[in-house]
Order: sequence, then C-alpha cells, then structure tokens
Amino acid sequence: MHELSIASAVVESVLEFVSVHPVKKVLVVRLAIGELSHVEADQLRFCYMAITEQTPIQDSALEIERVEAVVRCEKCSYRGRPKYWDDALSVGPVPTLQCPDCGATVEAIEGSDCAIKSIRFATEDDGLAVPAT
Amino acid sequence: MAMIQTIEASPDEIYDIELEHSLLEANARLAKENRALLDRHEITAIDVMGAIGSGKTTLIGRLVERLKDRLGVAVFNGDATTSTDADLIANQSVPVVQIATVNGCHLDANLVGKALQKISLEKLRLILIENIGNLICPAEFPLGSKARVVVVSVTEGPYMVRKHPHMFLGAQFVVVNKIDLSEAMGVSVAELAEDVHKLKPDITVIPTSCKTGEGLDDVMAALLAV
Repeated sequence: MHELSIASAVVESVLEFVSVHPVKKVLVVRLAIGELSHVEADQLRFCYMAITEQTPIQDSALEIERVEAVVRCEKCSYRGRPKYWDDALSVGPVPTLQCPDCGATVEAIEGSDCAIKSIRFATEDDGLAVPAT
Repeated sequence: MAMIQTIEASPDEIYDIELEHSLLEANARLAKENRALLDRHEITAIDVMGAIGSGKTTLIGRLVERLKDRLGVAVFNGDATTSTDADLIANQSVPVVQIATVNGCHLDANLVGKALQKISLEKLRLILIENIGNLICPAEFPLGSKARVVVVSVTEGPYMVRKHPHMFLGAQFVVVNKIDLSEAMGVSVAELAEDVHKLKPDITVIPTSCKTGEGLDDVMAALLAV
C-alpha cells in the first residue's frame, strides 16, 4: 500500500498550493503516472479520497493519466517502447528492461515517474490567479 | 434536513495551473543525500529486499558472520513492528539499527537517513539494509544504496518472479535462496533465474543455501565488488 504514501504526497502538495494561491475550491488534480512506476490507479484514488476528507480539498477529483515507458539501449542504440513479457502472470503484458532488438539490458528514460501535472481550481475572483495557457 | 446551498464558479473563474511536480522526487533527493554521505565515508550500502520468509535476515546474518572480522559492517533492520530480526543480528556484536516503520510497507530514504545518524560511520565499509518483507512497495523508494538485492526462495514456489516483475527491474542482484530444498519443493532454480533474465538480462543471479553455506562466498564477493 505505498499508494497511501503517494496519495499523502499529492495531498500535501495540493494543500501547500492552496495555501499560497487565491483558491476557493480545488476541482481537479491531474496526475501523470509512468507505466514503469508501481502505482495502482484505483488504490491511489481511494487513498486520495480518504485522506482529503474534511480538508479544504475534499471532493476534488483525481484524474490519472498513464505515461508510456520509453527505453534506450546503449548497445544497439534502440530507442522506443520496451519489450513486453506476455506470459508473466500479471493481468496485462509486463514491461521488461530487455532490448526488443538486441536483447541487452536497456535503460528506462521515460515512464518511471509519478507526478502532479496540473491543478484545476476556482478562485475568489480577485484577478490574482494566472489564467490557463 | 438542512438545506445545503452550493455555489458553482463561473467558467471564467476557473484556472488550470501546470505543476509538473514529481511525487517521488522528495525521496529520490534524500536518497542522493544518503548516498553522498556514504560515499564520503567510502561505505557501500546494499538494500536487501524480498518477501517475508525468503531468508533476508538469515542471509544477512551469514554474511555478517563471514565479514565482521575482515571489515566494518553494520546492519539496518526494517520491520513494521518487531525487533526480532535486529536482535538476531545484534547477537553478533555489530552495529545494528532497528527501523520500525509501524504500519509502513517499505523503508524510505528519510528513515535510512535517520538511521545513518544513529551510528558512527568511521571505520565502516559496508551497511546491509534489510527492507520490509514486501515484494511491491520498496521498489518505488530508493534508499541511497549502491546496489539492490532481491532475495527469493524456492519455498515461495515457481512463480515468484512472474508474480512480482516490477521488483526486479531496479535490482542488480537476485539471490535464489534455500536451494537445498529445491528438489523437495519441485522448484527449478534455473527457471527462476531464466524468469529474472527475461525482465533484466544483466542482473546477476546467485543461488544460495544459508543452511549448507553454498553460494554465500559468491554473494559476499559480488557485494564487495559493487
């Protein structure tokens, strides 16, 4: 249940954001979760809901976008999607660090992180907030 | 029932702010600090991960027995509630720090940073960090170690690697433990190793038995060469 740690980090960041911006209500928090990070979206949503209860950001929605993995092979210069292991026992194919072209070990260059992408909120209309670009 | 009044913001009062704020960065930054501190003292830290019962504590105990007269070694024992593992290692008279995560399912760089302040780093060459018995959560939280080891044992069955593939992607070594029981369990060490290599071809797989001592010198040599 490391989703609880991640959800706590989300809530902490959003509350900090709220404390320094003229926010009336946080509507949506958008996360980008890498394919290679081991964060389960449904569990994360549940933890977020539980933690935000009775806080200023209660009822804000958590939108989660999946970021595809990109790997790079030093040996053969392959750069692109990872090789997947179909017969692992997971629900779907499992991304591996084996080069799809030459079989060497690749390095993950995208898809390992878990980040807050953006926050959508309503303001007290005092013109302090910066409009979306 | 009380009437609840709601006020909806009009669209021109709604803003989107781009943040791009990494949630793993705080831990990663602390892990880097731990690593810098360890490097300054020329200490190698090894993160030992694996399921409950895979033999992490026994493996660490055997390695400490072999190493303690040759070089300065210390052990951090992560455990949710008990100090059973730390007590076992402390019997060998090496510095031990028990890291109680209470209900936490993994160690993080902050906890390890605090543990590093509890012991004298002078004269130490190696710190073995026993992570919480868990094959999912620790993967996301680097601690500042130079290498990560996953311990799987044949008694956990033939599908341990397939069931927890993510855990192996960030590791440099896999110890396949309890090989003295592989025949009785009907679990092939070679097939477990093959599964590991499908996920990450350059990972070093070392079969061991902490009971017979087989493979322990190989683990020791591998960790000291990190």
